[in-house]
Parts: sequence; structure tokens; C-alpha cells
Amino acid sequence: MTRSNFKSRLLGAALVGLLALSAPALAQDAVSAAKAAGQVGEQADGYLGIKGSVSGEVRQAVDALNIKRRAAYTDLAAKRGVTVADMAAVTGCQTLATRVSQGQIYRIGSGDWQVKGAGPIALPDYCASASQ
Amino acid sequence: MRYRPWLGPIKRLGATALLAGMVSGCIQVRAPDKPIEINLNVKIQQEVVVRLQQDAKDLIQNNPELFPK
Repeated sequence: MTRSNFKSRLLGAALVGLLALSAPALAQDAVSAAKAAGQVGEQADGYLGIKGSVSGEVRQAVDALNIKRRAAYTDLAAKRGVTVADMAAVTGCQTLATRVSQGQIYRIGSGDWQVKGAGPIALPDYCASASQ
Repeated sequence: MRYRPWLGPIKRLGATALLAGMVSGCIQVRAPDKPIEINLNVKIQQEVVVRLQQDAKDLIQNNPELFPK
């Protein structure tokens, strides 16, 4: 192995380490950018969804956040004695109401992706009592 | 009890008759003509939403990194 080869490998390893350290922040940034680009959006089920095909980086970032969300939903659901899906759906009401900006996409049920207009999103019926 | 060998077949006959009665008394279930619609939408009780919404709000507020704008 030449010296320069070793150096570049070391640099690579350092970069990987740096990436691992800042992974959550990166995932957050990647998802924010993808949401702004209309590739990723909030779903009524409480998770992020992907519209069409996206880069592997975006897909990984979405998966990472969804896994963390599910962990949080599971935790809360156990505390409150409800199903994970219920906890996720109630959070979905909130994310649709507060985490989708105008021009960003969102999806309710198994419906098509929609673009948020100037007004508030027409939430599913069961969300009706969820104050915004 | 006295040994009554003729009682065995009678008991068996009774059991068979009872079983036959049960079978004929079953409700006939027919498959519906229309295809069954599977609803993929979220189904949730209003009461559950009310009970959990503060938790949901707190979750988002306390973990903004999981819910980027």
C-alpha cells in the first residue's frame, strides 16, 4: 500500500465517522430539502412518504426519521394503552396541520399526493377535534 | 348399575341424531356477490384522538428533529 493510498483511506474513514456522527442532523436537512422540492411529504398515518423516485440519500433519510418516529409512537402507545397505529395517526393529524407548508405535498389515506394551497389542509374526519 | 347391553346402541343413535340436528341447524354462510372492499384509510375512534392529541403535540414539540418542516 502506498502512503498516499493510506492517507486517502484514512480520510475516507474520518469522513464516514463524521457522517455517522452528524447522521440525524443530515437526515433532517435532507428531508427538509426533499419536502421543499416536493419529493417527500407528511402522511395522515404519521409517517413521511416519498413521491416518485428519489436519490438513495433521501430514501435513507426518510427511512431513518420514520424509524425514529415509530420508536417514539411505540413508546407513547405503550404508555397510553393504545395501538401504535392510533398514536401515529393522531400525530399525523398534527403533522398535517402544523408541519406542511404551502406548496409542500401531503397524502391522506391511500389517496394521491396533494399540494398544500394557501388554506389549511382538509383533515380526515377523525382529526376534527384536533385543534391546530 | 345393572348391565344393559341394549343401551349402548340407543345412546349412540341419540348422539348421532343430536349431531345431525346441530349440523342442519347451522346458519348457511354464502360468499357475497360483490367483492369485499378493503379500506386502507386510517380508522380511529374520536375519543382516542381527543385523549392522545396532547401527547402528539408534545411529541412533535419535544422532538423537532423527527418532524422537520
